[in-house]
Amino acid sequence: MTLQAPLQAHARAAAVTVENVSMEFSSRGRQLTALENIDLAIAPGELFVIVGPSGCGKTTLLRILQGLARPTHGRTLVDGRLVAGPGTDRGFVFQQDALYPWRTVLRNVAFGLELQGVAKSTARSRAQAMIDLVGLTGFERHYPHELSGGMRQRVNLARALTIEPAILLMDEPFAALDALTRETMQHELLRIAAAAGTTVVFITHQIEEAVFLGDRVAVFASRPGRVQEIVPIELPKPRPAGVKQSPEFQMHVARIVKLIGTYESHG
Amino acid sequence: MTVALSEQDAEAARRQAPRAGLTRERLTAIRRPLTTLVVGLAAWEILARTVLTNRLFFVPPSEVALAAGRLWETGELQRHIAASFSELVYGVLLATAVGIAIGVVVGISARVRAYTEIYITALYATPLVAVTPLLILWLGIGIGSKIAVVFLTAVFPILINTIAGVRATDALLIEVAQAFCATRAQIITRVMLPSAIPFILTGIRLGIGRGIVGVVVGELFGSQAGLGYLIYTSGQTFDVPSLFVGIVTLALAGVGLTFAAELVERHALRWRRSVRVD
Repeated sequence: MTLQAPLQAHARAAAVTVENVSMEFSSRGRQLTALENIDLAIAPGELFVIVGPSGCGKTTLLRILQGLARPTHGRTLVDGRLVAGPGTDRGFVFQQDALYPWRTVLRNVAFGLELQGVAKSTARSRAQAMIDLVGLTGFERHYPHELSGGMRQRVNLARALTIEPAILLMDEPFAALDALTRETMQHELLRIAAAAGTTVVFITHQIEEAVFLGDRVAVFASRPGRVQEIVPIELPKPRPAGVKQSPEFQMHVARIVKLIGTYESHG
Repeated sequence: MTVALSEQDAEAARRQAPRAGLTRERLTAIRRPLTTLVVGLAAWEILARTVLTNRLFFVPPSEVALAAGRLWETGELQRHIAASFSELVYGVLLATAVGIAIGVVVGISARVRAYTEIYITALYATPLVAVTPLLILWLGIGIGSKIAVVFLTAVFPILINTIAGVRATDALLIEVAQAFCATRAQIITRVMLPSAIPFILTGIRLGIGRGIVGVVVGELFGSQAGLGYLIYTSGQTFDVPSLFVGIVTLALAGVGLTFAAELVERHALRWRRSVRVD
């Protein structure tokens, strides 16, 4: 697979630090610990995957990183700056139906810039560049309902990238896609992330996806949500064709399956 | 570099076929209501010539058309239409502006809603044309009292629908805006209002319907011009053909406004998936 040259060489990937983060909710008088003492150090430009069973607090952690939720204890830092709320240094890729149905592809992608008050022509050309990057050239004037699930996720990704974030936060973005489209989107993500040059924090519950995408994979355990182990993925990047069938790949998968399985048999 | 779009994507692209001009479907859409119209007019004409022949109480459409021609030539009909139309337009515009503004405030704030909901519900359910005599006492028999009646009758459906629309905004779409650092004002103007537009348009359409009733009732109670005035004075002078001219003009206005509202809705909601059921 050939990698195209970065569109804007904004070597602006940031480091993410999670320090002793805990999150407690009280629900119907019961105290629930969604996250317990999470410590993570994610390097600039890294594609960091969090995998774990549902209810392990993955999404909560991502929302904390975006600044949409506040942890009860601990703190998170982006390039040494404390996260106190949403910021344009972070782009969030939501699940499938998070596009504005009344906006065309172009206007959905330009949304973040529009909020920042960027001049219309500048916003348009930057949005267009991202639409081209995610492979949707020619679909600028389409509405979301006219697109397939995979195309909608490309728009979602382009929308997050247009504000040129230093970190891309992705919350199970391919979960609702069919297997074939999902496969395509995984390859596309690797290409696009390399071209955009950002740090990526990617959440999934699919182990193969985690191994294929990740530079490192954090395996989370649930109740309370915590880091069980961080597995470095020692596979070449860009990932060669057929890597999923390779024994090395399968070995990584087996290891993570075992980690998650071990926990569950004890839990 | 080529980016392979899956077959599914190509399928989605194909779904976007260009719309043809005057298709057979469109001709049918015109032919059918036209048929009913011609049959209806013929039935009316026959009824007036064979059964209800007393011209003091009932007239055939041909005579209504003649009366309309006479009223048009003197310029009287245009004057009445212009008076009623401007009362309706000013009243509905005012009701739209006020209804949307208050609707947004009430829609986003549970506290404001708790204080005001009882009044809004009560006034929505009250037939506010009942206060017309009072408005005429206050504002006189000119255009002001009619605008006030239209405003009062039209504002509540718009208000209630705006509230419902704002409250129905998908929480996820608001969260997306928050993630992109939207201010409160941006969330209202760029997420809540566009998402409430289908509701607001329905409210305006209901408001226009009620507003037409308001115009006529207002003019019946006291006025110097307008279709209601034409109907009232024609009735007083046993001029039944002119009375029917007033009624038919109102009916035509209703059809025209409904059609215009549909066009506006179709344009404003072109982002929606259209589903055919028949």
